[in-house]
Formats: sequence, structure tokens, C-alpha cells
Amino acid sequence: MRLHQLPHNCLLLLACLATWSVGILASSGSQDEQVSSFFGRHDGDSGHTNNWAVLVCASRYWFNYRHMANALGMYRTVKRLGIPDSNIILMLADDVACNTRNKFPGSVYAKAGRHLDLYGENIEVDYRGYEVTVENFIRLLTGRVDPSVPRSKRLLTDDRSNIFVYMTGHGGNEFLKFQDNEEISAFDIADAFEQMWQKKRYNEIFFMIDTCQANTMYSQFYSPNILATGSSEIEENSYSHENDNDIGVSVIDSYTHFVLEFMEGINKTSQVPIQDLFSSYDPVPIRSHPGVRSDLFRRPLDKALITDFFGGVAQVEMFPAVEEKIQANTFVSKCSQDTKIPQQHPPNPTADELISGEVHANTTSVPLSGFANQPWDTRWKEIRKWTSVLLVGSLVGWVSFAR
Amino acid sequence: MDSSLFLPLLVSCRLVLAIVPIPLINEFQHDHQLSSPLTSYPRLKEGLWLYQHDVDPYAGGVFRHSPLLLSLFSTVLPPLPVIWALCDIVGAWALLRIWRARQRVGKGSSGRDSLVAAVYLLNPYLLLPSLALSTSTFENTALLLTLMLASEGNRSPALLALAFTTHLSLSTFLLVVPVLMLLVSSPVSQLASPRPFAGNLMTACKYAGEFIAYWLVLIGAASIMAGGGWGWVRETWGASLTLPDLAPNPGLWWYFFTEMFDHFRPFFLMVFSVHLVIYILPICIKFQHDTLYVSFLLVGILGIFKAYLTLADPGLFLSMFVLFPEVYPYLRHPIVTTLLHTHASLLLPLFHALWVTEGRGNANFYYAASLVMGVAGGAGVVDACFAGMRIAIGDVVEGERGKWEVVQE
Repeated sequence: MRLHQLPHNCLLLLACLATWSVGILASSGSQDEQVSSFFGRHDGDSGHTNNWAVLVCASRYWFNYRHMANALGMYRTVKRLGIPDSNIILMLADDVACNTRNKFPGSVYAKAGRHLDLYGENIEVDYRGYEVTVENFIRLLTGRVDPSVPRSKRLLTDDRSNIFVYMTGHGGNEFLKFQDNEEISAFDIADAFEQMWQKKRYNEIFFMIDTCQANTMYSQFYSPNILATGSSEIEENSYSHENDNDIGVSVIDSYTHFVLEFMEGINKTSQVPIQDLFSSYDPVPIRSHPGVRSDLFRRPLDKALITDFFGGVAQVEMFPAVEEKIQANTFVSKCSQDTKIPQQHPPNPTADELISGEVHANTTSVPLSGFANQPWDTRWKEIRKWTSVLLVGSLVGWVSFAR
Repeated sequence: MDSSLFLPLLVSCRLVLAIVPIPLINEFQHDHQLSSPLTSYPRLKEGLWLYQHDVDPYAGGVFRHSPLLLSLFSTVLPPLPVIWALCDIVGAWALLRIWRARQRVGKGSSGRDSLVAAVYLLNPYLLLPSLALSTSTFENTALLLTLMLASEGNRSPALLALAFTTHLSLSTFLLVVPVLMLLVSSPVSQLASPRPFAGNLMTACKYAGEFIAYWLVLIGAASIMAGGGWGWVRETWGASLTLPDLAPNPGLWWYFFTEMFDHFRPFFLMVFSVHLVIYILPICIKFQHDTLYVSFLLVGILGIFKAYLTLADPGLFLSMFVLFPEVYPYLRHPIVTTLLHTHASLLLPLFHALWVTEGRGNANFYYAASLVMGVAGGAGVVDACFAGMRIAIGDVVEGERGKWEVVQE
């Protein structure tokens, strides 16, 4: 390269770079739009793709029956609204169902009258007994677990997971007692959540706690996208709700009881915002003042849905069917109950190209495996079956009589 | 009892069972002993519903019945229990006609008519699957009609019935050779005097050609019904060869293949299928003097080693025992076979309930019971085989009883 050609070469290189970058930007612009409109976070959408729940009962012993019932009641609600066992981490001391003092062995009830057995035959406790420790809880949240810990005991969340963290037990001013042995402080939990944020282990967290002076436990959070609620203010106790005369101990805490009662009115397709839950708090029957902390939560509370945290609901985009004529014979496909009808959220302009206007709200035509090979010709259905029957019948007749 | 009244009484009882609603009889339709994925009535109804609603029934792996059954039940006949009762009655009638042909009775009746019909209609192994509306009733009836027509020498109807039988259930392919041999020979018992095969093999080959023609026509009708493709072959006959559905049944295949690594699956599927085929030639050669006995023994083999076994398959073998009273004195352990069958028939539902319903047992319990069923079937076939050969040697004369006896080397 001669020296006098250097400026020419530099200019050429610059021009090439410029055109290349402009070309990239231009072509990816529309593609990016499409991709981000599909995967991105829309206004008012939480932007989550999966739901997890961490339910912790930090007490043990028979007289803390109600804490076990709290956690199991939340477990049942969360499962009912669609979060699968694989996405629920349940930490219980699990020593009341088979306790020798339990008059109804193998059962845990949350209401006097014992109509609903929360223990049943189908619960999956991930950390039980002496495994419910502060260290295990923090390791679970931050993901820094021993390699030998099985998958069912890990919180396998990613940056699009909404996590519902529920804790109950005996607590106080910025601490929670774990199994009469140790304590976790509000700072520990706040730091654990910050680690999760830095490691992109959550999209949004809903933290609920039912202990004495519970609202102090969420006072130290400093990571974004956390919504927190607690059962009682500082210097205030949380009370149990009722006793069962045959079991002999209190069976549920007051705050959790009213939350569960509210949740009984919610089902998988409910569009109730979380503000309704908070508005339903009534300090008089609960006998304490529940609190909410929403300054770290970026969405307005009347847009965030309860099922964003409590339910295992997934977003679905429906695409037009493969063949035109199949759409004429729609049948209701077995959509899983977790699909949300996309009409709730006004689709973005680019998404309209994807969602065909011909697809009706409740039906979609799913091309079956047979379709790809043979279009199932419905016109000829009647002709085919009668042809086949008559062919066989005539063969039988011919053989019987003519031969 | 008056034998002239007994037959109508049996027939009417069977019809009454079909018409009168019996409590809990709908539970039979889901029982794994009485029907398999290839013969189950709920699946038949599912296939009919899918066809009616413009969905390919063979796309989902649910419906494994023949397209001819699909066309029959969606056009001419509704799938009512009385059809199964009529099929049972036709099967009993066919067994009766085989018996008469074997005894050279002709059009008249023999003394054991009512016993023969009763053995078929009252056999619990056959009655319960029929009450469960399993299509194995149709398969058994088709097989008995084939043997009846072949015993009576009706060439074309027998070959057509054989084509139907092979079409409904692929495993009955084992019986093509003995039925062809039966057509060219006689059903009369020759067990006591074995001689080389008396029929003409060339005519048997011609008959094979006619059988293949009828079979192809049935395949054509089935393909027309199924929309002109071959997907139905993979779902119906392919199920016996590739075992896609591992629902538990009294047979021996399912457990083996639940714990089979995928790498070895094709090999062992081939082994199990070839295992069925290797019995044809030896039994045909050994009993070439009595081809009805060959069919009987091969039905017994099928009743043990079939892919999707139900109780109807060993049931047919046990019912066909009534055709061969000449071997009864030579059976060495009939009581053992009977007790094994009793044992198995009690254990199978018990262990199934223990495993599936209550959850206190596991699959090994049920597999052990199905092994007992296999041993029971094996004891029956081995005993029948021995007796069929032993009868040719004859009785040990009274005076010489101490001097020598017949043993198996």
C-alpha cells in the first residue's frame, strides 16, 4: 500500500462501514420490531412467561399447626390456579399431619368443621423437617446450591419468571424465626432478592408474609419489580383466626384466612387486578393492619393481575391453520385451560399480520398428522363408507351364492 | 336335562344377558383382561365418533380396529350389545358344525351337541369379553366360521372367511396354512392313525391364490374406507408388530417392552413376531394327518404368545378342547392345567386392582399373574400336543401293563 493511497483507502473503508451498519440497522429494524412485539413487554403486561411459587412455613411443632395450614392453603390455591408442582417449592416442617397428637392422622385442615383436607394424597413437599433452614432458603433463592441438590429442590427461574414468595411463622421486627432454631432478617431476604435481580432470576416478585410485625420484613427491599404485602404493622401482632374443637389448636391465621377466602373467588381465567386483593383487606376482622409496599413495582396495581403471580397462566398467540378448507370445518380443539384469549390485550399492529382474522375466538383448526399426507375429504365420507360396506357385502354375497 | 330344550335355553339366556341391563357391566368395557387396545369397545366408539366428526380416526393412536368394522358400524349396524350376543351364538353354532363334521354326523344331531354349544357360550373366558363388548368376539367367531366352512369343504366361503379373519387380527395369519391344508383334506379325526398328508399340495396353492385375491379385495375396501391411504395398516396390523401401546394385558409382551431400551426394540419385536411364526411348520408337519388338530394347537399358541392378549384368546383354545374327546384319556395333567387357569384367572384381576386401583402393588405383581396365565396356557398346549401324539401309540394292553409303559424320551 502506497502512502499516498492511504486517505483513499481509509475513506473507502469508512464508506463500507457506513453502508454496512446502515444496512444492518435498516433490515433489522422491522425484524426487531416483530420479534420484540412478540417476546417483549407490552404496556400493562407483566412480560412473564412462567410462574413459580416459594411457600415457606418457618415453624414446627404441633402448636404451630396453623402455620402449616397457612402454607398448605396457599399451596392448594396456587396449584388450583395452575402452577404445576414442578414450579412450586414447598418448605414445611411437615410434622403435623402424622403427629401422634393429630386426631385426624394424615390430614391438615384450615377451617373449623374440617371440610377440606389440605394434606390429601397428592402434595409434594420439597424441603421438609430439618431441611427448612435459613441457609437452604437463601441458597434456594440465589441458586447457589450444592451440585447434588436435585432439580425438584432448585428454583429454576429465569428473567421472565414471576415468583410468588409466601412466608409464615413467628416473627418480629425485621426478623422471622426458622424452626425455633435460627432467624432470618429482612436484610438477608433483601440481599437475596438483589442477588436474584443481578443474576436475572426473576421478572417480578410478589412477596407475602403472615407473621407478627410482618410489614417490617419487606421494609428493607431495594431491588426493582418487587411487590410486597404483610399481615401486620410494626409493634402489632398477627392473630390466629379460629380453633377447631376436635383438633384442639388454632387451624389458620387471620390474615391468611381472609386472603384464601378472597382467592376462592379467583379462577384460572380471572382478570381481577391485584389492587382488588389489597382493597379487600379489612383490619377489623383481620385484627391487624395489613400493609402493601409497591414503590419498587413498576406497574400500576390496578393493571397487575392476581393470576400474574398466583396462576400458571401462559400467553398464547394463535396462527392461521395450514389449509384453507380445513377452517371451514372447525372443531373446538382441546385448548389447555391455561391459554389466555389474546383479545384481552390489544394486539400491536405488527402482530395483526400474525393473527388471522378468520380464526374465531374459541376455536382453532389444528392440522392433524393425517392432514399432511391426506386431506380428509369430508364430502366423500358418506360415499366412502357405503362403498366399502357394499363392496364387502357384494363379495360375501357373490361367494355364498355364486360359488 | 332334555338336550332338545337346552340349546334354545342357552341361546335365549345369552340374548337376555345382552338386552337386560346388568349393574356394573359397563365397568367390564375398561377392564384390561377382557379387552386390549386392539379390541376395546370404548375405542371403537371413539373411532366412530371421530369419523362422524370428520377427523381421521387413525391419526391419533386411539383407534386400532379395522376400517371394515368402522364402516360396518357407521352404516348398517349400530354397535349394540345384542350384536355381540348374536355373534356368540353364531360362534357356538359354528363350533357345533365343526364338531358334527369331525364326527361325520352330517345334518343330524349328535349326542353332545348341547355340551359343545355350552362349552362355547358358558366359558367365562369367552363370555366376559363378550359382555365387555370386546371385538375379540368377532375375531373368534370369524375363526370358527373359517374352520367350519373348511371342515365342510366349502372352498370359497372358507377362503373368504379366512380373509376376514386375517384382516381383523393379524396374528391369525398363523392359521392360513392349516386351513388351506384342511380344505384339501378331511376334518375327521385321524389322530390315532397318523399317515402322510393326503391332500394335494397343488390345489392348496391354488386355493392360496384365491385367498390372496379375497384378502386384497378386503384391503381395497378398507383403504377406501380409510381415505385411500395406508395409515390404517400401520395403526391396526402395525400395532401387533411394533407394539406402540403398552397397556397392561394378560399377555407376555407388554412388560418386556416397557423396560426395553429403544436401541434393542426392533430386534426384540422381530424376535417375538418370528417366534409366533416358527410354530407353523413344525406343528403342520407333525400333525399333518389331522389338520383340525393343527389349527387347535396353533390357536393355543396364539392364546399364549399373541401381542395384545385378552382372556378371549386362551378361552377359544379351551373351548375347542371339546372337539377332541379322543385325546382326553391321554392328557397327562388336565387337573394341573385347570388349576393353573383358575389360579391365573383369580390373580389377574386381583393384582390389577392392587396395582392400578389401590396403588399398593406394582407392575411386577400383575406381570407375575400374567406369567401364571402363560404357564397355564403352555401346560394346556403341551398336554394337548403330547396327547395328540400319544393317542397314535395306543393303549398298553392289560396283560402287558407291568412289562412296559410308554414314556417320553
